[in-house]
Amino acid sequence: MIVSSHPLFGKGIKRLLESRFGEGVNVVGMVASVEEAIAALMTLHPDLVVVDYDDGAVNREEFLARFVESEHRLRVVLLSLKEGGSNAIVYDRRTMAASQVEDWLKEWADQGSALSSIISMGKPIVQRSKFLQMKNNLIHGFGALVFVFIMTAIGLLVLRTDILLPEQASLQAVPIDNLFGLHFRLIAFLFALIVGTILYSVIFFRRKKGDITDAVHITGNTNLEIAWTVVPLITVLAFSFIGSDALAKTLKPDPKPLEVKVTGQQWAWRFEYPDQGIISNELVLPVNKQVVLRLQAVDVIHSFWVPEFRVKQDLVPGQVKILRITPSKVGSYQLMCAEICGQQHAYMVAPVKVETQDEFDNWINVQLNTIPTDPVARGQFWLDRYGCKACHSLDGTKLVGPSFLGLYGRQETFEDGSTAIADEAYIYESIREPGKKIVLGYPNAMPANVAQEMTDEQIQDIIEFIKTLK
Amino acid sequence: MRQTKYTLFSVGLVRGLVAMVIGMLAGMGLLSLIRLLMGLPAWNAEPAWVLGGVIGSLAFLAGIGAMTDWFKWAKGEQTPEHPAHDPEQPGWVKYLSFSTDHKVIGVQYGVTGMIMFAIAGSFALIFRTELIQIGLQFLSPDLYNTYMSLHGIVMIMAILLGVGAMSNYLVPLLIGASDMAFPRLNGFAFWINVPSGILLLSSLFLGGFDTGWVGYPPLSVRAPLGMQMFFLGVYLFGLSSILGSLNIIVTALRMRAPGMTLFRMPIFVWTALATSIISLTATQLIALSFQMVMFQRLLGMGFFDPAKGGDVILFQHLFWFYSHPAVYVFILTGLGVISELLPVFVRKPLFGYKWVAMSSLGIALVGFFVWAHHMFTSGMQEFLRVPFMYSTLLVAVPTGVKFFSWVATIWRGKLSFETPMLFVLGAIIIFLIGGLSGPPNGTVATDLHVHDTYFIVGHFHATMFGGFVFPFMAAVYFWFPKVTGRMYNERLGKLHFFLMFPAFFVQSFGQMFVGLLGMRRRIVDYPGLEFMQTPHLLITIAGFVIGFSVLIFFFNLAFSARRGVVAEQNPWHSRSPEWGLPSPVPVDNYREHPFEVVGEPYDYGLAGSAFVRMVQPVAEPATVD
Repeated sequence: MIVSSHPLFGKGIKRLLESRFGEGVNVVGMVASVEEAIAALMTLHPDLVVVDYDDGAVNREEFLARFVESEHRLRVVLLSLKEGGSNAIVYDRRTMAASQVEDWLKEWADQGSALSSIISMGKPIVQRSKFLQMKNNLIHGFGALVFVFIMTAIGLLVLRTDILLPEQASLQAVPIDNLFGLHFRLIAFLFALIVGTILYSVIFFRRKKGDITDAVHITGNTNLEIAWTVVPLITVLAFSFIGSDALAKTLKPDPKPLEVKVTGQQWAWRFEYPDQGIISNELVLPVNKQVVLRLQAVDVIHSFWVPEFRVKQDLVPGQVKILRITPSKVGSYQLMCAEICGQQHAYMVAPVKVETQDEFDNWINVQLNTIPTDPVARGQFWLDRYGCKACHSLDGTKLVGPSFLGLYGRQETFEDGSTAIADEAYIYESIREPGKKIVLGYPNAMPANVAQEMTDEQIQDIIEFIKTLK
Repeated sequence: MRQTKYTLFSVGLVRGLVAMVIGMLAGMGLLSLIRLLMGLPAWNAEPAWVLGGVIGSLAFLAGIGAMTDWFKWAKGEQTPEHPAHDPEQPGWVKYLSFSTDHKVIGVQYGVTGMIMFAIAGSFALIFRTELIQIGLQFLSPDLYNTYMSLHGIVMIMAILLGVGAMSNYLVPLLIGASDMAFPRLNGFAFWINVPSGILLLSSLFLGGFDTGWVGYPPLSVRAPLGMQMFFLGVYLFGLSSILGSLNIIVTALRMRAPGMTLFRMPIFVWTALATSIISLTATQLIALSFQMVMFQRLLGMGFFDPAKGGDVILFQHLFWFYSHPAVYVFILTGLGVISELLPVFVRKPLFGYKWVAMSSLGIALVGFFVWAHHMFTSGMQEFLRVPFMYSTLLVAVPTGVKFFSWVATIWRGKLSFETPMLFVLGAIIIFLIGGLSGPPNGTVATDLHVHDTYFIVGHFHATMFGGFVFPFMAAVYFWFPKVTGRMYNERLGKLHFFLMFPAFFVQSFGQMFVGLLGMRRRIVDYPGLEFMQTPHLLITIAGFVIGFSVLIFFFNLAFSARRGVVAEQNPWHSRSPEWGLPSPVPVDNYREHPFEVVGEPYDYGLAGSAFVRMVQPVAEPATVD
């Protein structure tokens, strides 16, 4: 069959074919438009179609597109009688990839004429029955559901609060861990839903080798979109509500809590029990009694965190922050600073001991009796309590600040070149106004308000102790 | 025929660096002069380096020629509308010099981004090795803190550069434009990143800094000089972000091909648009917050000093107002790559294209209302934590729309598994892990436990890898044949994926596991937690495997760009217009191959449909230069 609106083209080709192939070729029809050509395909069933490439009246792309839709196995030749380059291109639907059409159309085009469009070679329209389509969908849907179910089950086995969280040692941890549990279960399901479906698809929707056709043309489904917008919306609102409730539970104040003032400084913790009149470097707490921690930072932001208690609160310079904890399990834990606070941040830790009420009362008594009467021993006691040893060694080791060994009576040289003898007045000034004289070779890192809470007597005790370090 | 000789000084970068050194010295000199006139001793390191850095960066930009045309206009001179492209220029000169061609700029962003990615990754491998065992093996706490901080900020920079690479290269090509709306501004915006990166990395040699990439005062006020280089470096690349996003918005809104309505744009352009809206409007806040700390350090102004009436928490509000939307800048274009590539490899339309497009804007919008979820323990007003929890969880809704669309696109498709598709599938799964670990951080009570732990570290590494790293690699592999004209090596690509993907699972789950059980973040050591040494070892090994796979990636790209098999024009049989162009893409894109839009972008499976039709170009009147 020959497709061309120029009668001479058809006549010329006919004569050419007949002279070359004689009886073997029979021209069954000559049509002048795409419509006629498609119609003729149905009735004439030609083995070969010759299309006039240069014919503007015959839209060859349209012809090819519609030709590809059909199930006909036959050959098409696009023939150009113009000068230059190859004159004919054979398109055999069985051996040439549909997508290669655009490529060789371009080859034509690069001979000088306009580029053509990139055509989608869709799937041949095979009218499967609606029933078969639904059955297919159901089978795949069920298969994916199985995958999702199995993966959810595995997820629920693995994502458990009793394996993934530290032991629960505070009342506040209970609503927090319950909320974690809720999150973990939803995470297990959602991960399985998405990954399970993808996994199913990766196995059962692979492209078959050599298949160059496209998949089914589905662009969307508004109902589905609305559903998977509204359901998550309701879910997140519910979670937020539950979250608020959990938060409220952790903040419930006790009418008569134990008061502890917590001071964080680079890089040590100090705990003062104002009602009991003691200072400690360990946090000792009676079990089942709420403690209200009043948190203060001296220099930079720190953060109070004991993993087994769960709750956390930053210490903010210039402000007092509150954290309420009711320890529920006797034991030893570790307080760790949880906000980067400089060089020794990793080591800013302190022991936390939860004891019975009797053990706690006993400890208080011991602390009260531990404050030495001797000024020298007391001086050493204050150095321990106020965290000075984080930066000043007693044995000559150079830490952040000068060692106290041999300090008293030593001549110190300062940044600006001046010198002074380290006498009582110098040591007093160095504590009260640390930035005034900076020893050469050391940074100006001592917090200015470290000594705000120290009395003159305490500083005198410290001086007495330092005098003994020769 | 005149042979142009290309010397070292033909390379813009060389001229820029020389100018930068001169500029820095001039800035330092100027500072000393001012101090002398004020009666102060001439030298003070910190203000000298800051002023030197500022003037040096401006000098770099002048030296590389990024401002030449603007200087000419200031003098009343005319400049050609389209700068002449010299076909004789060798590649190494072209890519290391100022260019206004968005494709050259895209490659410049991409390569610079990959270099920064490698540097930041190396820092991570260094400090991860220290973390294998308790105790200090070879890193001092100060050096650890500096590497840890630089890892964060250099990675962020690498991500922004990668986003810039994809947006700049692709947006004009996807919409049928010959270039961006403001090509000179585009070139200028790229080259800002070089002095920025130099200043950032110089902090290593100026005492480092120990605050992490967030730079919270008061710690950042008392940190060494390296802190200022950090502030200055970030300030500069923030400017690059702002200018680049301005360009993208105008280009996408005003330069689309005939027939390309907004809802017929390739989906990537929607995400580039949403990303740019965020960058354009929010970046200023991080610059402001850093500038306030700089002024506190240099001029004694007490913004964050309680002794002077300042408020420490104010910094965090200002900082996070940008830095939260910033994470959506990091991931939105990556999610756009996933949406763009899936239809090509499953031969099926993108499910719910309009909803996916809107979801990008939805994420961008909601993303502005959640910043204080980074501050639940900060000591801000307690009641504020509840509304921010609601808004934070709300982001899951538009994000969910994307996930469900991807699954629906894949469902009943015809999947093939070339390297770009592997990275797209990997991206979806890893971003899912990141996204699902979000809600425990978003509900305040659970956040009290996980804030400042490795659980958070695991969360954001998963979202960053899934939302940027994997999609970026997918994009690079996918468009590599169009950019270079050659095909990458498929086996090396698959090796890269099958090393990186499982290693990432180990890293991710390892981090979340140790975090829940008590591992804080930003710590050089974890005394008392002996049972964590094995998980830490596994996490570090995973990091090295990832690093090795990235080396394979770089090798593949470098080798294939020169010696890869010559690529077909459209190896992926994509409907997108750029695949109708020759490879590599000609200098003026579509000027000789214009197209008009005749259908929907993703109608795979609809027989005879086309997205674009290339038309006969209209003869242009000769221009007089």
